[in-house]
Amino acid sequence: MINLENISFDHCIKCTVCTIYCPVARETHLFPGPKQSGPDTERLRIKDPYLVDDSLKYCSNCKRCEIACPSGVKIADLIQVAKFQHLKKKIRVRDFFMSRTDLVGRLATFMSFLTNFVINLLPVKFFMDVILKIPFGRSFPKYASGTFHGWAKKKMPDQSKFRTKAVYFHGCYVNYNNHQLGKDLVDVLNAMNIGVITENEKCCGVPLIANGYIDKAKKNAAHNIQALSRALGEEGTRIVSTSSSCSYALKYEYANLLELNNATIYDKVDYITKYLYSQFETGNIPPMKPVNLRAAYHSPCHLERMGGVIYTINVLKEIPGLDLVILHSECCGIAGTYGFKKEYYEISQSIGANLFRNIEKADVEVVITDCETCKMQIEMNTPYEVLHPVQVLARAIKNNTR
Amino acid sequence: MNYDCLIIGGGISGLTCGIKCVSEGLRCGILSSGMSALHFSSGSIDLYGYHTNRKIVYQPLDYIERLIIPEGRHPYSKCGIDMIREGISFFSETLEKEGLVLYHNNDYNHFHVSTMGTVKPTYLSQRSVFNDSIKEGFKKRSKIAILNFSGFRDFYPELAAENLRKNSLFSLFDIITGEIELPLFRRTEKNPHEFRSMDIARIFDSEKYLPGIANQIVNASGGALFVGLPAFIGINNFTRIYQRLSELTGMLIYEIPTLPPSILGMRIDDALKSRFAALGGEFIAGDTVNGGEIVNGVLDHIHTENHGSTRLRSKFFVLSSGSFFSRGLVSEFNMIREPVFNLKVAASEDRREWYSPSFFQKESHPFLEYGVVTNNTLNPEDTQGATVENLFCTGAILPHYNPIREGCGGGVAISTGYFAAKKIIEGCRS
Ligand SMILES: Cc1cc2nc3c(=O)[nH]c(=O)nc-3n(C[C@H](O)[C@H](O)[C@H](O)COP(=O)(O)OP(=O)(O)OC[C@H]3O[C@@H](n4cnc5c(N)ncnc54)[C@H](O)[C@@H]3O)c2cc1C
Ligand code: SF4
Ligand code: SF4
Repeated sequence: MINLENISFDHCIKCTVCTIYCPVARETHLFPGPKQSGPDTERLRIKDPYLVDDSLKYCSNCKRCEIACPSGVKIADLIQVAKFQHLKKKIRVRDFFMSRTDLVGRLATFMSFLTNFVINLLPVKFFMDVILKIPFGRSFPKYASGTFHGWAKKKMPDQSKFRTKAVYFHGCYVNYNNHQLGKDLVDVLNAMNIGVITENEKCCGVPLIANGYIDKAKKNAAHNIQALSRALGEEGTRIVSTSSSCSYALKYEYANLLELNNATIYDKVDYITKYLYSQFETGNIPPMKPVNLRAAYHSPCHLERMGGVIYTINVLKEIPGLDLVILHSECCGIAGTYGFKKEYYEISQSIGANLFRNIEKADVEVVITDCETCKMQIEMNTPYEVLHPVQVLARAIKNNTR
Repeated sequence: MNYDCLIIGGGISGLTCGIKCVSEGLRCGILSSGMSALHFSSGSIDLYGYHTNRKIVYQPLDYIERLIIPEGRHPYSKCGIDMIREGISFFSETLEKEGLVLYHNNDYNHFHVSTMGTVKPTYLSQRSVFNDSIKEGFKKRSKIAILNFSGFRDFYPELAAENLRKNSLFSLFDIITGEIELPLFRRTEKNPHEFRSMDIARIFDSEKYLPGIANQIVNASGGALFVGLPAFIGINNFTRIYQRLSELTGMLIYEIPTLPPSILGMRIDDALKSRFAALGGEFIAGDTVNGGEIVNGVLDHIHTENHGSTRLRSKFFVLSSGSFFSRGLVSEFNMIREPVFNLKVAASEDRREWYSPSFFQKESHPFLEYGVVTNNTLNPEDTQGATVENLFCTGAILPHYNPIREGCGGGVAISTGYFAAKKIIEGCRS
C-alpha cells in the first residue's frame, strides 16, 4: 500500500547528495546509503516487501541526509518506517532492556550504587559483550539514587509563587542519571522568575523507535501527549525539554513516524535554549557573573535537524566570561542506543573520530553539548567533561549569588 | 532574533552576500533548505560565454560593459560594471583565504571540458582546470590520456575522448583513454560501481595511496603530457594533493567534472561556508522558509518549517532561493510562482511557451529566463504591486537572463549577491 502521507520519495532527483553527507555510509560499505535505502528502494518495497534487505538496520537515524537533500525528501523517516514495517524483529534481551529506559532506570536507580559497581566489573562487561552484544570498550552513564521526578514532587522549592510557569519534560536521562541537570534547570528558570512544573511523563519513545518497539512507543507517546496537554493549563505556558532528542520526538517523530495527532502540543514544545532565548529577547536575562571558562560547543544531529542550534549558540553568547569555540557540525557517532551495540560499535567510533580530534585541537577546558548521548560519547573518547548549556548558565547564576 | 540581514537560500549568491555582510560587522544569518546548485555545477564560474549567435565571447567584462549593461533589464545592467568587478574579486579573495585559489586568464575567458567532453568558455576555474602550466602545456599540442578508475560508473572516458576528438581545438592532439585501479578496492566489500566521486575523493584525501596511484597513472598514460581524471582529487585537502600528484607523476593533471555530485562545486561550497562561519555568520541548514509578512512595503518577519510560529526578524532580507531546480521558483499547471512571498514573476502564462521542443536545444529553454521582477536595486514587488524596500532578490531567482545560453550563471549570482550586500551595509550604516 502506498502511504500517501510520505510520497516525498517521488521528489527525489537522484542526485546522491544525501549519501555524501551520511556519516554511516562514509564509514562502512555495508550500508548502501540514504539514497539507495530510502527513495530508491522505497518504490520497490511498496511493490513487494520481499525486496527489503536488512542493510537498512545500519541507518542510525541521525537525519543528516534530510538536512542535505535539495528536494525535501524525508529520507530518514522513510528508512525508519521501512525498518519497523519490514525487518523481522529478533527478540533480543539487549534491545528490549536498552529501549525500556523507564523500567531499567527505575530498577537501576533503586540500587544505584550496586548498578554502577556491577556494570563496570570485568566479568560483567565480558558477559555483556559476548551474550548481550554490548561492546566491551563501551562506558556507561552512571545511575543516580532515586528519580528526579521523586525529588521534584517532594523537595523541589515551591514553584506556585511564580506567575509564569513552564512544564518541564525532563526525560529519562535527567530522571535516572543526571538529576543535577534538572535541578540546574529549576535554578535557572527560577532566577528568571519562571516556575517549573513536572508531569507524570513516560519515556519519550526515542529508544523504543530505534529498537523497533513501535507499539510501545505509540503508547508512551499517547500518554505524553495527553499528560502534557493537560499540564499546559494557563495561556502562554510552554513545554520545555533539556534533551534535544526528546524535543525532536515530541514535536516531529510523534506525528511523522508514529502517526499520532500531537497538534495540542506541537507548537508549545521548545527545546530549552529556544525558550531561554525568547525570554532573553524580552529582556528577561538572569543576573550572571563571569564563568571564566574556555569551552568547545558540539551541535547534536537532532538539534541541527530542528534548526535549534542558533538558539543554543545565542544563549551561550550571553554568558559572561565564556570563551566559546564552535566546532564544525558533525555526527559524534553514538546516535542514541546505536553506539551501545556491538555490531555498530566500530562504525560509531570511526564516525566520531574526526570530532574527537577537533575537540583535542580546540584546546579547551570543557565541552558543551545539548544531548545526553553525545555527552556519553565525547566523555568516553576525550579527556573532557561535557556540560549542558543549562549547567553553564546555572554556574554563571550561582557565581552571582555567591 | 534580531538580525541586520537574513538570507533565504545558501547557494553561491546567498553565501557571497552573507560573507560580505558579516565581514563588515553585520549580524547575519542564512537559512537554507538543502544543498545548492553548487553540488551540481562544474565548479567553474561563468561570467559571460556566448554571443546571441552562439559565438564565443573572449573578453567577458568588456562584452558585458559594452553590450549587456546598456540593455537595461539584465541583472548585470542593475549591478553596473564596477560592482561586477568588485564582486568577482571579493569572491576570489574569499576563497583564497580558505586555501582555494581560482585562476583566470588575464581577464579573458578560458575553456574547460565537461563530463561529456564538450568544451565551454568560462572565467574562473580551480587550479586543476586552468592555470599557467596548463595554458602553456596546451600550446604544445601533444598527447592527452583520459583515465578512469575501473568500475567507476559516473564518468565515461571514451565518450569524453570521442567528443574532444571532434573538436577543432583538439585536432592536433593524440587522445587516448585507459583505466587504473584504486588500491583500496581490493580491501572493500563494496563493489567499485557503487562508488561515488566522494568516496574516491576521500581516498585521495588520506594521501596514503598517492604514490601507488601516481605509478598507475604514469603506466596507463603512454607518455602523455596531460592526464584527464574525473574530478575527485581530494576534497578538504585538494591543493596539497593536487600538488603532490603533479610532482609524483610529472604530468599536467586535469580534472573533468563527473555526474553529480560534483566535487569541484563542493570544494567551493565548503570554502564559502567555512568562511561565513569563521566570520561569525549563522548558517541554519535544513530549514525551509515558508512565508513572511509584508506590511506597507516592508518585510516585517519570516517564518520557517522548523521554527513554527516563531517570527524571525531582521532589518534586511535577501531572497536567493535559486531557480526551479532549487525550488526558488515553482511551476503549477498554468502558472509560475515564487512560493515564499508570492512576489511578482516575469513568465509566460502559456505553458507551451515554457520550454523548447528538444532538451539540448542550442537556444536553451525560455523558462530559464523567468524569475522575480525587481527594480534597479533588486527590490521585488509584493502581490499588491508595492516595492518591498528591505528585501533584495539575487542569483538564479532573477529573470531576463539565460544562464545556459549566455554562460553567465555564476557571475550573475556573485555580482547580484555582492550588490545586495553593499546596499544592505549602506542601509545599516545610515
Ligand atoms: C545543475 C546546474 C549546474 C550549473 N552549473 C554551473 C556552472 O558550472 N557554472 C556557473 O557559473 N553556473 C552554473 N549554474 C548556474 C547556477 O544557477 C548559478 O551558477 C548559481 O549556482 C545559482 O546560485 P544561487 O545561489 O542563485 O542559487 P542556488 O544555488 O540554486 O541556491 C538556492 C538555495 O536556496 C535554498 N532554498 C530554496 N528555497 C528555499 C526556502 N524557501 N527556504 C530556505 N532555503 C531555500 C535551496 O535549498 C538552495 O540551497 C548551474 C545551474 C544548475 C541548475
Ligand atoms: S539518518 Fe543518518 S545514518 Fe540514516 S541514512 Fe540518513 S544520514 Fe545516514
Ligand atoms: S539528496 Fe534527496 S534528491 Fe538527492 S538523491 Fe538523496 S533523496 Fe534524492
